[in-house]
Amino acid sequence: MRRGLMGWNAEELPKAALEARIARLRGAMQRNGFDAALFYTNLVQPSAVTWLTGFTPYWSDGMLLLPKDGAPVFATALSKRVANWIRTTDTLSEIVNTPKPGAAVGKRIADAGCKRVGVLEYDALPAGLFDEIAGAAPAVELADISDVFADTRRLIDDAERALISRADQLATSALDQIDVNGATDAGVVAGLVEKHARLGGAEEAYIAVAADLDADRRLVRVSGTLPLAGRFAVRASVAYKGAWVRRIRSFARDEAAQRVYAAAEAWLAQVASSIEGGRPLEMQLAAHLKTLPGASLRASMAESSIGGYPLAAVSDTPPAGSFLVLTLALSLGGIPWVGAAPVFVGG
Amino acid sequence: MSVFTDRRARLLQEMAGEGLDVLLLYGNAWQNDYLRYATDFGILEGQALAIVREDGIALYVDSAIEADRAALECTGIEVVHAADLLDEVDKALNRLSNRRIGTAPARLIPRKLAARAKDLNLGDRTSFLDRLLMGKLASEVDAIRRACKVADEGYAVFRDAARPGRADYELIAEAEAFFRSKGVDDNFQIIGVGGPEVRGMAPPSGKKLKRGDMVTTELTPCVDGYYAQICRTLVIGEPTAEQNKAFALYREAMEAGIAAVRDGVTAADIARAENEIFRREGLGDYVTDQYTRVRGHGVGLFADTKPHILEDVTTRIDAGMTLIVHPNTYHPVVGYLVLGDVVAVTKEGCEVFTATPRELFGQPA
Repeated sequence: MRRGLMGWNAEELPKAALEARIARLRGAMQRNGFDAALFYTNLVQPSAVTWLTGFTPYWSDGMLLLPKDGAPVFATALSKRVANWIRTTDTLSEIVNTPKPGAAVGKRIADAGCKRVGVLEYDALPAGLFDEIAGAAPAVELADISDVFADTRRLIDDAERALISRADQLATSALDQIDVNGATDAGVVAGLVEKHARLGGAEEAYIAVAADLDADRRLVRVSGTLPLAGRFAVRASVAYKGAWVRRIRSFARDEAAQRVYAAAEAWLAQVASSIEGGRPLEMQLAAHLKTLPGASLRASMAESSIGGYPLAAVSDTPPAGSFLVLTLALSLGGIPWVGAAPVFVGG
Repeated sequence: MSVFTDRRARLLQEMAGEGLDVLLLYGNAWQNDYLRYATDFGILEGQALAIVREDGIALYVDSAIEADRAALECTGIEVVHAADLLDEVDKALNRLSNRRIGTAPARLIPRKLAARAKDLNLGDRTSFLDRLLMGKLASEVDAIRRACKVADEGYAVFRDAARPGRADYELIAEAEAFFRSKGVDDNFQIIGVGGPEVRGMAPPSGKKLKRGDMVTTELTPCVDGYYAQICRTLVIGEPTAEQNKAFALYREAMEAGIAAVRDGVTAADIARAENEIFRREGLGDYVTDQYTRVRGHGVGLFADTKPHILEDVTTRIDAGMTLIVHPNTYHPVVGYLVLGDVVAVTKEGCEVFTATPRELFGQPA
């Protein structure tokens, strides 16, 4: 459940930026024959609604209706008393507090005479909400709008770039707190990193640790006592005002691995700053790997925000102007290394 | 046996008693109690579905990093990384034709799967799971007792962190760091800072604490999957006579509610006992939904589980249930005020697990 800093301010996320996003999406909706669009949100799938309105739920769920014109309508089972708080983070939408958010938006689209309405991630829509919508708007055709949304949302604007950069500063600074020689317990390290990120104003911080990189490079959310081996890795997944990044850093106590890890970190920074749009990521990675001595790729993952999830795995060719989180696992002359960094795709 | 082993054995036994061959359970980081009951997985990112059968449990997770974690943390469970979650589970359900399949929570089952209810013989069995979630095994009650101890300790950390000039989110950061070192893998927490203008609690907004502020919080750490909650109010500086007077009323209401808890009463009986104290003082308006949500609720694998303690909820309270009794509401003179303790229902009454004193704490200003 979200319990970090949540709030909206005009300097970080100008209303004009939100209005421009909505206008872009409405253009795409019109081109694709949608009279309106519906977006489900909860704290696990908040990102589409956050991108459109600035609002992220800390609890419960709701549905955003984006009509073809006029203000968006946010219907939620959160109580009327919480509406004042919602208003502090969503200054655009009409807020409807109702035990049946699906019925509320269903009635709106039926009353507006909508014929075809797009639903983000339609197959995954909770059945209870679907039943409410279909019950209130039986004549309206509901169709998946995920691809149309992803194409529009993929290109980030200046406001989002700044929020992502702030989230990255928090993650990087939190990982900087780790003293490789003093760290002995994974739970203490996780607590230290999380505390630093939250003290900096993180909305959320998920910290995961691979306590013994030589034995297992998988990272787990650690709490309690778990001894750290000579080589370990820490992942900080950090959100700031709805913008998410991941950073992974590998740590070693032995000098040989420290040198290797320092080179890998510098290499990753260089890779992250040089990914170009319009070219397959795999090809670009393969070319970069040749520049890191002794490196062989064990696993890779690219994530981006294209729907309800803050970060979801993507495998397509990234467009210029988009954002990725790149996670890599390498063997560096037999030494295991994992790293992750945000990427603003250039070109 | 671990609490999870106990729980799984009970689930399979009760499924047989209900004539259920299979359960399809949904979970995410918000609503994870149904899924966790059967798998013990505390999901953070993405979504998961579990297929529970007598001969095994399969957990389908759509996030690669969560699948890695589940594979390490969940013993005796088949973990499947399903990038296309619905497609994979759909295929798995196809292999279970002619079985009686129950779903929970039915409201959150993805539409694509729910649409196949007829041909897959799916039926809503949310209430069956709700019964198991509410009526705890002895080992579950013990787990909640342990969680309450951590909640008490966490509140002490929170209280120590409350100083003039600090931002509300910094207090939560201190508590979270403590929780990570104590094996707490999740926490639900909201906060209120100020005076009569404060109408409720919400996530931190960056408000800085100052002398005279009341700081309310509902702190809900999760230990081994079980959430325990504590609600307390502190004042930056010495509490005023008005604040002390208001707090005494809330303490009396909470203690009246706790005194009403025993096997065989209803949730409404507990709520009524709390609310009568407010009505006696002419504050009856402030126990309506204009000012407050619930007068307590169940605690367990979800931070806000059934039954909700309200005057219109007739759910029977049974021995083995665990509840928080909290008469949290707005007070017209001093603002929103909270106080709540966790109890375990017994045949004769209840055992109070929360040990933090029932005080309006004054923090040095």
